[in-house]
Amino acid sequence: MSDAASNLLAPTNEDTCGPYFPIYFADPALEDLTRVDPGLVGQAAGTPIILRGRVLDRHGELANGAILEFWQANAKGLYRTPETEGHPDIDPWFHGYGRLRSASGAYEFKTILPGATDGRAPHITITIFSDGISRIVTQMFFSDHAGNDADPVLQSVGDDAPKLIARHDGRTASGAEVYVFDIIMAGAGETPFFDDLES
Amino acid sequence: MTPQGRILGIGPTDNTSDQRTPRQRLRLIPEQARSSFVPVVPARFITRSHEWDMTRTAPDRPRAAGVPIEVTGTVRTQSGRPLANALLEIWSANHYGRYRHVEDHSGLKLDENHLGLGRVLTDEDGRYKFWAISPGAYLARPDIGRWRPKHIHMSISGGSSRLITQMYFPDEPNNAADPMAILMGGAFERNIGKPRDVAGADVDEAFDFDIVMGGRNATFFE
Repeated sequence: MSDAASNLLAPTNEDTCGPYFPIYFADPALEDLTRVDPGLVGQAAGTPIILRGRVLDRHGELANGAILEFWQANAKGLYRTPETEGHPDIDPWFHGYGRLRSASGAYEFKTILPGATDGRAPHITITIFSDGISRIVTQMFFSDHAGNDADPVLQSVGDDAPKLIARHDGRTASGAEVYVFDIIMAGAGETPFFDDLES
Repeated sequence: MTPQGRILGIGPTDNTSDQRTPRQRLRLIPEQARSSFVPVVPARFITRSHEWDMTRTAPDRPRAAGVPIEVTGTVRTQSGRPLANALLEIWSANHYGRYRHVEDHSGLKLDENHLGLGRVLTDEDGRYKFWAISPGAYLARPDIGRWRPKHIHMSISGGSSRLITQMYFPDEPNNAADPMAILMGGAFERNIGKPRDVAGADVDEAFDFDIVMGGRNATFFE
Protein backbone atom coordinates (compact mmCIF):
# COMPACT_ATOMS: atom_id res chain seq x y z
CA MET A 1 0.00 0.00 0.00
CA SER A 2 1.24 3.47 -0.82
CA ASP A 3 1.36 6.25 1.76
CA ALA A 4 -1.58 7.89 0.06
CA ALA A 5 -3.64 4.73 0.39
CA SER A 6 -2.92 4.46 4.11
CA ASN A 7 -4.39 7.93 4.62
CA LEU A 8 -7.76 6.80 3.34
CA LEU A 9 -10.61 6.63 5.84
CA ALA A 10 -11.87 3.15 6.66
CA PRO A 11 -15.12 2.55 4.78
CA THR A 12 -18.44 1.89 6.48
CA ASN A 13 -19.33 -1.76 5.89
CA GLU A 14 -21.98 -2.57 3.35
CA ASP A 15 -24.82 -4.53 4.94
CA THR A 16 -27.92 -6.30 3.76
CA CYS A 17 -30.96 -4.14 3.09
CA GLY A 18 -33.04 -6.82 4.79
CA PRO A 19 -36.56 -7.85 3.77
CA TYR A 20 -38.32 -4.59 4.63
CA PHE A 21 -36.97 -1.93 2.27
CA PRO A 22 -39.82 0.59 2.41
CA ILE A 23 -42.27 0.40 -0.47
CA TYR A 24 -43.00 3.98 0.60
CA PHE A 25 -39.70 5.02 -1.03
CA ALA A 26 -40.80 3.78 -4.47
CA ASP A 27 -40.62 6.45 -7.19
CA PRO A 28 -42.56 5.83 -10.42
CA ALA A 29 -40.27 8.25 -12.24
CA LEU A 30 -37.38 5.84 -11.63
CA GLU A 31 -39.28 2.84 -12.99
CA ASP A 32 -39.94 4.34 -16.41
CA LEU A 33 -37.04 6.28 -17.89
CA THR A 34 -38.77 6.94 -21.22
CA ARG A 35 -40.34 10.10 -19.85
CA VAL A 36 -39.95 12.57 -17.02
CA ASP A 37 -42.49 12.66 -14.23
CA PRO A 38 -46.12 11.92 -15.13
CA GLY A 39 -47.97 14.89 -16.57
CA LEU A 40 -44.90 16.76 -17.70
CA VAL A 41 -43.87 17.30 -21.30
CA GLY A 42 -40.58 15.53 -21.88
CA GLN A 43 -39.69 12.34 -23.71
CA ALA A 44 -36.38 10.53 -23.78
CA ALA A 45 -35.00 10.05 -27.30
CA GLY A 46 -34.57 6.53 -28.60
CA THR A 47 -36.35 3.19 -28.88
CA PRO A 48 -38.56 2.38 -25.88
CA ILE A 49 -37.93 -1.06 -24.44
CA ILE A 50 -39.28 -3.12 -21.60
CA LEU A 51 -36.74 -5.21 -19.73
CA ARG A 52 -38.41 -7.93 -17.77
CA GLY A 53 -37.26 -11.02 -15.96
CA ARG A 54 -36.89 -12.83 -12.70
CA VAL A 55 -34.39 -12.72 -9.89
CA LEU A 56 -33.85 -16.32 -8.79
CA ASP A 57 -32.11 -17.88 -5.81
CA ARG A 58 -29.96 -21.02 -5.54
CA HIS A 59 -33.02 -23.25 -5.66
CA GLY A 60 -34.59 -21.55 -8.67
CA GLU A 61 -37.12 -19.77 -6.48
CA LEU A 62 -38.02 -16.14 -7.00
CA ALA A 63 -36.03 -13.85 -4.71
CA ASN A 64 -38.78 -11.76 -3.17
CA GLY A 65 -38.21 -8.21 -1.98
CA ALA A 66 -35.36 -7.49 -4.40
CA ILE A 67 -34.26 -3.94 -5.14
CA LEU A 68 -32.92 -3.46 -8.67
CA GLU A 69 -31.06 -0.37 -9.76
CA PHE A 70 -30.25 0.31 -13.40
CA TRP A 71 -27.59 2.50 -14.94
CA GLN A 72 -27.24 3.08 -18.66
CA ALA A 73 -26.19 5.38 -21.45
CA ASN A 74 -28.70 7.36 -23.50
CA ALA A 75 -29.76 6.51 -27.05
CA LYS A 76 -26.54 8.05 -28.39
CA GLY A 77 -24.40 5.94 -26.08
CA LEU A 78 -23.52 8.76 -23.71
CA TYR A 79 -23.54 8.34 -19.93
CA ARG A 80 -24.72 11.35 -17.99
CA THR A 81 -21.89 11.96 -15.50
CA PRO A 82 -19.94 14.96 -14.21
CA GLU A 83 -17.47 14.30 -17.04
CA THR A 84 -20.09 14.58 -19.82
CA GLU A 85 -21.81 17.69 -18.48
CA GLY A 86 -22.43 20.07 -21.37
CA HIS A 87 -21.75 17.44 -24.04
CA PRO A 88 -23.93 18.06 -27.14
CA ASP A 89 -25.19 14.45 -27.11
CA ILE A 90 -26.68 14.76 -23.61
CA ASP A 91 -30.43 14.12 -23.69
CA PRO A 92 -31.99 16.61 -21.25
CA TRP A 93 -34.86 14.18 -20.64
CA PHE A 94 -32.72 11.17 -19.80
CA HIS A 95 -30.46 10.72 -16.78
CA GLY A 96 -29.98 6.94 -16.99
CA TYR A 97 -30.59 5.88 -13.37
CA GLY A 98 -33.54 3.66 -12.52
CA ARG A 99 -34.71 1.85 -9.42
CA LEU A 100 -37.51 -0.49 -8.51
CA ARG A 101 -38.46 -2.89 -5.76
CA SER A 102 -39.96 -6.20 -6.77
CA ALA A 103 -42.19 -7.77 -4.15
CA SER A 104 -42.21 -11.16 -5.89
CA GLY A 105 -38.76 -11.25 -7.50
CA ALA A 106 -40.17 -10.76 -11.01
CA TYR A 107 -39.42 -7.32 -12.42
CA GLU A 108 -40.29 -5.03 -15.31
CA PHE A 109 -38.38 -1.88 -16.14
CA LYS A 110 -39.26 0.54 -18.93
CA THR A 111 -36.46 2.48 -20.56
CA ILE A 112 -34.88 3.21 -23.91
CA LEU A 113 -32.40 1.03 -25.75
CA PRO A 114 -28.96 2.38 -24.86
CA GLY A 115 -26.67 3.27 -27.74
CA ALA A 116 -23.34 1.65 -28.51
CA THR A 117 -20.24 3.68 -27.83
CA ASP A 118 -16.46 3.57 -27.52
CA GLY A 119 -16.02 -0.06 -28.48
CA ARG A 120 -18.84 -1.11 -26.19
CA ALA A 121 -21.99 -2.93 -27.20
CA PRO A 122 -25.23 -1.55 -25.73
CA HIS A 123 -25.46 -2.55 -22.07
CA ILE A 124 -27.15 -1.77 -18.76
CA THR A 125 -25.46 -2.12 -15.38
CA ILE A 126 -27.75 -3.69 -12.78
CA THR A 127 -27.18 -3.40 -9.03
CA ILE A 128 -29.13 -5.78 -6.80
CA PHE A 129 -29.90 -5.43 -3.11
CA SER A 130 -31.99 -7.89 -1.10
CA ASP A 131 -32.26 -9.69 2.17
CA GLY A 132 -29.35 -12.04 2.76
CA ILE A 133 -26.82 -10.19 0.59
CA SER A 134 -25.07 -6.89 0.39
CA ARG A 135 -24.89 -5.06 -2.96
CA ILE A 136 -24.09 -7.21 -6.01
CA VAL A 137 -23.50 -5.90 -9.53
CA THR A 138 -23.76 -7.24 -13.06
CA GLN A 139 -24.07 -5.89 -16.58
CA MET A 140 -26.51 -7.09 -19.25
CA PHE A 141 -26.48 -6.95 -23.06
CA PHE A 142 -29.00 -7.36 -25.88
CA SER A 143 -29.31 -10.41 -28.11
CA ASP A 144 -28.56 -10.26 -31.82
CA HIS A 145 -26.39 -7.19 -31.47
CA ALA A 146 -23.43 -7.26 -33.82
CA GLY A 147 -21.17 -5.51 -31.30
CA ASN A 148 -21.55 -8.14 -28.60
CA ASP A 149 -18.72 -10.31 -29.95
CA ALA A 150 -16.20 -7.50 -29.53
CA ASP A 151 -17.40 -6.18 -26.17
CA PRO A 152 -14.65 -6.38 -23.53
CA VAL A 153 -17.01 -7.33 -20.69
CA LEU A 154 -18.62 -10.17 -22.63
CA GLN A 155 -15.17 -11.30 -23.77
CA SER A 156 -13.90 -11.21 -20.19
CA VAL A 157 -16.44 -13.75 -18.95
CA GLY A 158 -15.70 -16.27 -21.72
CA ASP A 159 -18.20 -19.12 -21.92
CA ASP A 160 -20.50 -17.34 -19.44
CA ALA A 161 -21.24 -14.55 -21.93
CA PRO A 162 -24.71 -15.94 -22.87
CA LYS A 163 -25.75 -15.52 -19.21
CA LEU A 164 -25.37 -11.75 -19.62
CA ILE A 165 -27.39 -11.42 -22.83
CA ALA A 166 -31.09 -10.60 -22.70
CA ARG A 167 -33.35 -12.43 -25.12
CA HIS A 168 -35.42 -10.37 -27.56
CA ASP A 169 -38.92 -11.56 -26.85
CA GLY A 170 -40.20 -10.88 -30.36
CA ARG A 171 -43.30 -9.06 -29.20
CA THR A 172 -44.06 -5.56 -28.08
CA ALA A 173 -45.88 -4.26 -25.02
CA SER A 174 -47.21 -0.72 -24.71
CA GLY A 175 -45.35 0.14 -27.89
CA ALA A 176 -42.03 -1.08 -26.52
CA GLU A 177 -39.77 -3.92 -27.60
CA VAL A 178 -39.59 -6.58 -24.89
CA TYR A 179 -36.30 -8.09 -23.70
CA VAL A 180 -36.11 -10.87 -21.12
CA PHE A 181 -33.24 -11.12 -18.65
CA ASP A 182 -33.23 -13.47 -15.67
CA ILE A 183 -30.70 -13.03 -12.88
CA ILE A 184 -29.60 -16.19 -11.08
CA MET A 185 -28.05 -15.12 -7.80
CA ALA A 186 -26.38 -18.40 -6.88
CA GLY A 187 -25.87 -21.99 -7.94
CA ALA A 188 -26.46 -23.70 -11.28
CA GLY A 189 -26.45 -21.17 -14.11
CA GLU A 190 -25.26 -18.42 -11.76
CA THR A 191 -25.09 -15.00 -13.38
CA PRO A 192 -21.57 -13.55 -13.48
CA PHE A 193 -21.26 -10.72 -10.95
CA PHE A 194 -18.53 -8.10 -10.97
CA ASP A 195 -16.28 -6.71 -8.25
CA ASP A 196 -16.18 -2.91 -8.38
CA LEU A 197 -14.16 -2.74 -5.15
CA GLU A 198 -11.20 -4.80 -6.38
CA SER A 199 -11.37 -3.82 -10.07
CA MET B 1 0.26 -10.18 -7.13
CA THR B 2 -2.49 -10.52 -9.70
CA PRO B 3 -5.65 -8.96 -8.34
CA GLN B 4 -8.69 -11.17 -8.00
CA GLY B 5 -12.34 -10.50 -7.37
CA ARG B 6 -13.74 -11.34 -3.96
CA ILE B 7 -15.58 -14.46 -2.92
CA LEU B 8 -18.58 -13.23 -0.94
CA GLY B 9 -19.18 -14.60 2.53
CA ILE B 10 -22.39 -16.38 3.54
CA GLY B 11 -23.89 -15.24 6.83
CA PRO B 12 -23.89 -18.10 9.33
CA THR B 13 -27.39 -19.16 10.44
CA ASP B 14 -28.84 -16.93 7.70
CA ASN B 15 -30.94 -19.09 5.36
CA THR B 16 -31.59 -16.25 2.94
CA SER B 17 -27.88 -15.53 2.69
CA ASP B 18 -27.32 -19.20 1.82
CA GLN B 19 -30.01 -19.04 -0.87
CA ARG B 20 -28.90 -15.77 -2.44
CA THR B 21 -25.15 -15.31 -2.09
CA PRO B 22 -23.25 -15.85 -5.37
CA ARG B 23 -20.86 -18.81 -5.08
CA GLN B 24 -18.50 -17.89 -7.92
CA ARG B 25 -15.62 -15.52 -7.36
CA LEU B 26 -16.66 -12.03 -8.49
CA ARG B 27 -15.23 -11.10 -11.89
CA LEU B 28 -12.82 -8.24 -12.38
CA ILE B 29 -14.07 -5.46 -14.63
CA PRO B 30 -11.91 -4.86 -17.72
CA GLU B 31 -10.30 -1.43 -17.46
CA GLN B 32 -11.91 -0.27 -20.70
CA ALA B 33 -15.35 -0.89 -19.19
CA ARG B 34 -14.62 0.30 -15.65
CA SER B 35 -16.42 3.65 -15.92
CA SER B 36 -19.60 1.98 -17.16
CA PHE B 37 -19.91 0.33 -13.74
CA VAL B 38 -20.16 3.68 -11.94
CA PRO B 39 -23.82 4.67 -11.60
CA VAL B 40 -24.33 8.39 -11.05
CA VAL B 41 -27.55 8.96 -9.13
CA PRO B 42 -29.14 12.28 -10.03
CA ALA B 43 -29.91 14.47 -7.02
CA ARG B 44 -33.42 13.69 -5.84
CA PHE B 45 -34.83 16.31 -3.49
CA ILE B 46 -37.82 14.22 -2.55
CA THR B 47 -37.74 14.46 1.23
CA ARG B 48 -40.72 15.95 3.04
CA SER B 49 -40.05 18.57 5.66
CA HIS B 50 -41.08 16.40 8.62
CA GLU B 51 -39.39 13.19 7.57
CA TRP B 52 -36.25 13.84 9.62
CA ASP B 53 -38.33 13.19 12.78
CA MET B 54 -39.25 9.51 12.84
CA THR B 55 -40.43 9.70 16.46
CA ARG B 56 -43.82 10.95 15.20
CA THR B 57 -45.97 10.15 12.18
CA ALA B 58 -46.52 13.89 11.64
CA PRO B 59 -45.53 17.08 13.46
CA ASP B 60 -48.90 17.37 15.25
CA ARG B 61 -49.03 13.73 16.40
CA PRO B 62 -47.83 12.26 19.71
CA ARG B 63 -44.49 10.65 20.23
CA ALA B 64 -44.27 6.94 19.54
CA ALA B 65 -43.58 4.49 22.39
CA GLY B 66 -40.00 3.87 23.38
CA VAL B 67 -36.79 5.85 23.65
CA PRO B 68 -36.43 8.81 21.28
CA ILE B 69 -32.91 9.19 19.93
CA GLU B 70 -30.99 11.62 17.73
CA VAL B 71 -28.52 10.35 15.13
CA THR B 72 -26.07 12.72 13.49
CA GLY B 73 -22.99 12.30 11.37
CA THR B 74 -21.04 13.29 8.30
CA VAL B 75 -21.01 11.38 5.02
CA ARG B 76 -17.56 11.39 3.40
CA THR B 77 -15.66 9.54 0.74
CA GLN B 78 -12.57 7.59 1.79
CA SER B 79 -10.41 10.54 0.77
CA GLY B 80 -12.31 12.66 3.29
CA ARG B 81 -14.40 14.74 0.89
CA PRO B 82 -17.84 15.51 2.38
CA LEU B 83 -20.73 14.29 0.26
CA ALA B 84 -23.19 17.18 -0.05
CA ASN B 85 -26.85 16.78 -1.03
CA ALA B 86 -26.76 13.01 -0.64
CA LEU B 87 -30.08 11.31 0.01
CA LEU B 88 -30.36 9.18 3.15
CA GLU B 89 -33.31 6.83 3.21
CA ILE B 90 -33.81 5.47 6.73
CA TRP B 91 -36.02 2.70 8.03
CA SER B 92 -36.28 0.92 11.36
CA ALA B 93 -38.50 -1.23 13.54
CA ASN B 94 -40.59 0.26 16.33
CA HIS B 95 -39.95 -0.10 20.07
CA TYR B 96 -41.37 -3.62 19.92
CA GLY B 97 -39.25 -4.78 16.98
CA ARG B 98 -42.01 -4.56 14.36
CA TYR B 99 -41.76 -2.90 10.95
CA ARG B 100 -44.79 -1.13 9.58
CA HIS B 101 -44.28 -3.02 6.32
CA VAL B 102 -46.93 -5.19 4.68
CA GLU B 103 -44.47 -8.09 4.48
CA ASP B 104 -43.58 -8.11 8.22
CA HIS B 105 -45.68 -11.01 9.46
CA SER B 106 -43.97 -11.32 12.85
CA GLY B 107 -47.14 -10.46 14.75
CA LEU B 108 -45.19 -8.14 17.06
CA LYS B 109 -47.01 -5.07 18.30
CA LEU B 110 -47.61 -2.14 15.99
CA ASP B 111 -47.58 1.43 17.30
CA GLU B 112 -50.11 3.87 15.86
CA ASN B 113 -47.59 6.69 16.32
CA HIS B 114 -44.72 5.02 14.49
CA LEU B 115 -43.99 4.64 10.77
CA GLY B 116 -40.24 4.00 10.95
CA LEU B 117 -39.58 5.82 7.65
CA GLY B 118 -37.36 8.83 7.18
CA ARG B 119 -35.56 10.72 4.41
CA VAL B 120 -33.00 13.46 4.86
CA LEU B 121 -30.42 15.16 2.69
CA THR B 122 -26.87 15.92 3.75
CA ASP B 123 -26.00 19.61 3.91
CA GLU B 124 -23.14 21.37 2.12
CA ASP B 125 -20.68 19.93 4.66
CA GLY B 126 -22.00 16.39 4.27
CA ARG B 127 -23.76 16.46 7.64
CA TYR B 128 -27.10 14.82 8.41
CA LYS B 129 -29.45 14.59 11.38
CA PHE B 130 -32.55 12.58 12.16
CA TRP B 131 -34.62 11.49 15.15
CA ALA B 132 -35.91 7.96 15.58
CA ILE B 133 -37.28 5.60 18.16
CA SER B 134 -34.58 3.30 19.46
CA PRO B 135 -35.63 0.12 17.63
CA GLY B 136 -36.46 -3.11 19.42
CA ALA B 137 -34.44 -6.27 18.82
CA TYR B 138 -36.48 -9.14 17.41
CA LEU B 139 -36.29 -12.90 17.21
CA ALA B 140 -35.20 -13.59 13.62
CA ARG B 141 -34.83 -17.37 13.93
CA PRO B 142 -37.24 -18.73 16.54
CA ASP B 143 -36.12 -22.28 15.69
CA ILE B 144 -32.58 -21.64 16.93
CA GLY B 145 -33.26 -18.67 19.21
CA ARG B 146 -31.22 -16.18 17.19
CA TRP B 147 -32.14 -12.51 17.57
CA ARG B 148 -31.45 -9.60 15.29
CA PRO B 149 -29.81 -6.90 17.40
CA LYS B 150 -31.18 -3.36 17.45
CA HIS B 151 -30.34 -1.67 14.16
CA ILE B 152 -31.35 1.19 11.87
CA HIS B 153 -31.24 0.69 8.11
CA MET B 154 -29.74 3.43 5.96
CA SER B 155 -29.48 3.78 2.21
CA ILE B 156 -27.19 6.55 0.97
CA SER B 157 -27.04 7.72 -2.63
CA GLY B 158 -25.44 10.74 -4.14
CA GLY B 159 -23.18 11.33 -7.12
CA SER B 160 -21.29 8.12 -7.83
CA SER B 161 -21.58 6.94 -4.21
CA ARG B 162 -23.99 4.19 -3.26
CA LEU B 163 -24.24 2.39 0.05
CA ILE B 164 -26.83 0.40 1.92
CA THR B 165 -25.80 -0.27 5.49
CA GLN B 166 -27.09 -0.57 9.06
CA MET B 167 -26.21 1.31 12.23
CA TYR B 168 -25.96 -0.92 15.28
CA PHE B 169 -25.89 0.02 18.97
CA PRO B 170 -23.00 -0.44 21.42
CA ASP B 171 -22.91 -3.23 24.02
CA GLU B 172 -26.00 -5.00 22.71
CA PRO B 173 -26.10 -8.66 23.76
CA ASN B 174 -27.18 -9.84 20.30
CA ASN B 175 -24.48 -8.07 18.32
CA ALA B 176 -21.94 -10.90 18.54
CA ALA B 177 -24.19 -13.59 17.02
CA ASP B 178 -25.54 -11.50 14.15
CA PRO B 179 -24.64 -13.12 10.80
CA MET B 180 -23.74 -9.83 9.11
CA ALA B 181 -21.67 -8.71 12.12
CA ILE B 182 -19.82 -12.02 11.96
CA LEU B 183 -19.04 -11.44 8.26
CA MET B 184 -17.72 -7.95 9.06
CA GLY B 185 -15.41 -9.30 11.77
CA GLY B 186 -13.27 -6.65 13.41
CA ALA B 187 -14.66 -3.99 11.06
CA PHE B 188 -18.09 -4.36 12.66
CA GLU B 189 -17.27 -1.60 15.16
CA ARG B 190 -17.37 0.94 12.30
CA ASN B 191 -21.09 0.24 12.01
CA ILE B 192 -21.85 0.99 15.66
CA GLY B 193 -23.20 4.42 16.60
CA LYS B 194 -21.12 6.31 19.17
CA PRO B 195 -23.12 7.58 22.18
CA ARG B 196 -22.79 11.27 22.93
CA ASP B 197 -24.49 13.89 25.08
CA VAL B 198 -27.96 14.87 23.85
CA ALA B 199 -26.84 18.52 24.10
CA GLY B 200 -30.29 19.92 24.86
CA ALA B 201 -32.15 18.10 22.07
CA ASP B 202 -35.62 16.78 22.91
CA VAL B 203 -34.48 13.14 22.92
CA ASP B 204 -33.26 10.68 25.56
CA GLU B 205 -30.16 9.38 23.78
CA ALA B 206 -27.91 10.65 20.99
CA PHE B 207 -25.43 8.93 18.68
CA ASP B 208 -22.80 10.00 16.20
CA PHE B 209 -22.57 7.82 13.12
CA ASP B 210 -20.09 9.05 10.54
CA ILE B 211 -20.39 7.27 7.21
CA VAL B 212 -17.49 6.66 4.84
CA MET B 213 -18.39 5.68 1.28
CA GLY B 214 -15.96 2.94 0.25
CA GLY B 215 -14.65 1.76 -3.08
CA ARG B 216 -13.41 3.38 -6.24
CA ASN B 217 -16.87 4.32 -7.51
CA ALA B 218 -17.37 6.92 -4.79
CA THR B 219 -14.39 8.93 -5.97
CA PHE B 220 -14.46 8.07 -9.65
CA PHE B 221 -15.17 11.60 -10.84
CA GLU B 222 -13.02 13.45 -8.29
